[in-house]
Amino acid sequence: MKLALIGVGHAGSRIVDRALERELETGRDLCNGNVLVFDTAADAFDDITHVPSDCQVRFGDIHPDVDADGVGGDPDLGVTVAREDVQELRRAFDAVDFNDVDGLLLVAGLGGGTGGGAGAVLLEELQAICDKPIYALGVLPEADEPDRCALTASRALQSFVEIADNVICFDNDAWRSTVSYTDTAESEADRPYDELDRTVVSHVLTAFGASESAAMTTAAENRIDASDITRTLETGGVSSIGRATLELDRSDDGRSWLPSWLPLPSWLEGDAVDGPADAAEVKRLVRRAIDSQLTLPCAVDSTYRVLVVLSGPPTAVSRKGFESARYWLEQETGTVEVLAGDEPRPDASTLTATVLLSTVTDVPRIDALQERGRTAAEAADESESGDAEFVW
Amino acid sequence: MKLATIGVGNAGSKIIDRMLEFEDKTGRSLCRHVLVINSARTDLAKPDYVPEDRRILIGDTHKKAKGHGVGGDVEVGAEVAKHDIDEIRRAFDDVEIHEVDAIIVAAGLGGGTGSGAGPVVIEELQKMYDEPVYGLGILPGEYEGGRPALNAARSLQSFVQKVDNFIAFDNDAWRSRGQTIEEGYEQMNRELAVRIVTLLAAGEIDETDVAENAMDSSDIMRTLDTDGVSSIGYASTTISNDADDGLLNRFREDEKPVGDATDAAKIKGLVRRAVNSRLTIPCEVTSADRALIILSGPSELISRKGIESARQWLENEADTVDILAGDDPRPNASELSAVVLLSNVTETPRVDEIQSQAVDAQDKIAELEAAREEEINELITDEDDELDPVV
Ligand SMILES: Nc1nc2c(ncn2[C@@H]2O[C@H](COP(=O)(O)OP(=O)(O)O)[C@@H](O)[C@H]2O)c(=O)[nH]1
Ligand SMILES: Nc1nc2c(ncn2[C@@H]2O[C@H](COP(=O)(O)OP(=O)(O)O)[C@@H](O)[C@H]2O)c(=O)[nH]1
Ligand SMILES: [Mg+2]
Ligand SMILES: [Mg+2]
Repeated sequence: MKLALIGVGHAGSRIVDRALERELETGRDLCNGNVLVFDTAADAFDDITHVPSDCQVRFGDIHPDVDADGVGGDPDLGVTVAREDVQELRRAFDAVDFNDVDGLLLVAGLGGGTGGGAGAVLLEELQAICDKPIYALGVLPEADEPDRCALTASRALQSFVEIADNVICFDNDAWRSTVSYTDTAESEADRPYDELDRTVVSHVLTAFGASESAAMTTAAENRIDASDITRTLETGGVSSIGRATLELDRSDDGRSWLPSWLPLPSWLEGDAVDGPADAAEVKRLVRRAIDSQLTLPCAVDSTYRVLVVLSGPPTAVSRKGFESARYWLEQETGTVEVLAGDEPRPDASTLTATVLLSTVTDVPRIDALQERGRTAAEAADESESGDAEFVW
Repeated sequence: MKLATIGVGNAGSKIIDRMLEFEDKTGRSLCRHVLVINSARTDLAKPDYVPEDRRILIGDTHKKAKGHGVGGDVEVGAEVAKHDIDEIRRAFDDVEIHEVDAIIVAAGLGGGTGSGAGPVVIEELQKMYDEPVYGLGILPGEYEGGRPALNAARSLQSFVQKVDNFIAFDNDAWRSRGQTIEEGYEQMNRELAVRIVTLLAAGEIDETDVAENAMDSSDIMRTLDTDGVSSIGYASTTISNDADDGLLNRFREDEKPVGDATDAAKIKGLVRRAVNSRLTIPCEVTSADRALIILSGPSELISRKGIESARQWLENEADTVDILAGDDPRPNASELSAVVLLSNVTETPRVDEIQSQAVDAQDKIAELEAAREEEINELITDEDDELDPVV
């Protein structure tokens, strides 16, 4: 599926930049050059290297409350300045060829004033001018960020879900434990986002970019088309992605990659009978994809629709195993809407299963975020009644 | 028989392609007209034997398809076909329909395009022509899950209502452990192509060859004229073409002077093997309404007596007297094959299974849909609904 990428705020812009880098690395062309990043801060685009400078849009900077740091984390200010500069934002969209893509993905840190506030306004604008699906990728803040970030994220999530056709979430908090965070972080401003951004981008690219790979020279047996992804996501709400990879052993004849569990073809090794291992291993891989860290940890059985893509050398995948894996997913997720497809990458040395869980509704992480958001809201109320201005 | 052959959707088109391959390799000319119809541009590029100008893309202007398929949604599949029906009709403009005896429409019933658009195409063809329209439908396997079962159960109803006969193929019965994704359905598709082409190509040369026993198109069409679901059985044996050993060597094995009795027994044995083999859809043979037996291969190998005793055997087995049997002379064939058509079989356990899986799926879908908006709303609002959205 071709997706225009729109980054909003610091997190959004960086993740979009990473996505372009990853496109180059993997030969998967997701956006076809249809890319834009928006921010309110003066130094917003300093570390952006792949998004062309004429696709970088700074806005809101003439508003008296906006300084070099942008909206300073205030989502209401983010909304206000985006609305004031709406003509400028609309003009920026001229750079995107909506006919060249199957949909749009707006990326934002939901805890940020620009991402969470202006991001919602941009979603509204996009829905008004484009009849393709408009998805969002929303990054949730970490537990050790101030409660006001949780408040912003809770409020932004409501708007994003209402406006976008689906909001794929990435939980910074769940993933920070996977990177050696405290060792490298020297200050608040120096969180090791690179690692997290690489993770989110690789998940998004394998889920949405299946069938967009330049290395896909053979036709897929059952290709994942844009319509398959759109249909999976059309139930709306919040979604999560899981992924797992299996290293394949190079077979002795050097002709193809074979997983160690796949019995050798009979012309290679007598009359090898296929054991159940091949099927079991594919199933185990798919299982690992949803048992492993999801972009948004959630109760898997609260999912409404599922898309599963198996990406790797087609000679290494047991069809029966893949079918059993799909069936298992149906049992596990409790929905019959499970679409499955393969992405042939004949020369790959790995087999990857990517599972998109669309419309997950049991997400303890979001409940916790809302709880903290309320604490922040109450604190704000109190300081207001105490006549002191609430400082973002 | 001479056919206009139409594949709808991914599976349907692949099957048609394999039929063309098989007739090409065996020197048959069954498919006089070919067309593949799909909503996914990339799937249309797959066939090897279908000419470029005989592939049509439907739904490219539909909001939910846009040339990228219908996402397995049977409703959208039907919608895009209805919307583009003029284009489909136009594709038949250059089909000289009097040159064909019948039309066959192939589709996989578990997806969206074949299952949804297939019946729409058939309905249109029935309006346009007096010739019979047959369906060749692939039933999804159990492990494909609830949605494909639901699509198939619904589509099967539409197909069977609209066609003159529905030849079914059960993916589950043909599933095998060893296949990789690359081999995919290739082998199954070839097996199906062999059966369908061997059956329907019989009688294609009825004007030129006057073998007394030869099956002709009207016999096949008569057997198919039941409006029901059919299954095909098949068996073959290789004939050695080694000049030194003589043409009949392999078939006659080591018996020196072959008497008529042995030949007859072998023909009967072959037919028996065809019926007891894996059928395209497993069924209770006795539930068949009519049956047809065709022996395809060099005439000198096909004993008249053998055909007759095979027919009698099947009469018993299928518990019907409505059985036609004959041969399809293929002087240069490297195989002698028997193909048996069981027409209007009513006891097919797999269809019942799909239906019950479909009912469960439909209930599940309704249950989830009823709760969806509420659950999303509960997720994005806090417990006491105190937090406001940003816009
Ligand atoms: N994954 C990731 N998250 C980030 C990054 N930068 C900021 N965040 C998160 O996004 C939230 C919003 O921050 P930021 O994007 O700087 O705010 P904005 O520019 O006002 O939208 C923060 O609370 C962090 O949780 C980043 O580069 N990667
Ligand atoms: N026998 C066979 N079945 C197939 C093949 N490809 C897909 N199928 C089956 O056909 C159904 C529909 O798939 P597909 O044709 O790709 O969907 P469509 O293009 O939307 O009609 C699937 O549920 C499978 O059961 C194939 O090549 N051979
Ligand atoms: Mg099909
Ligand atoms: Mg498809």
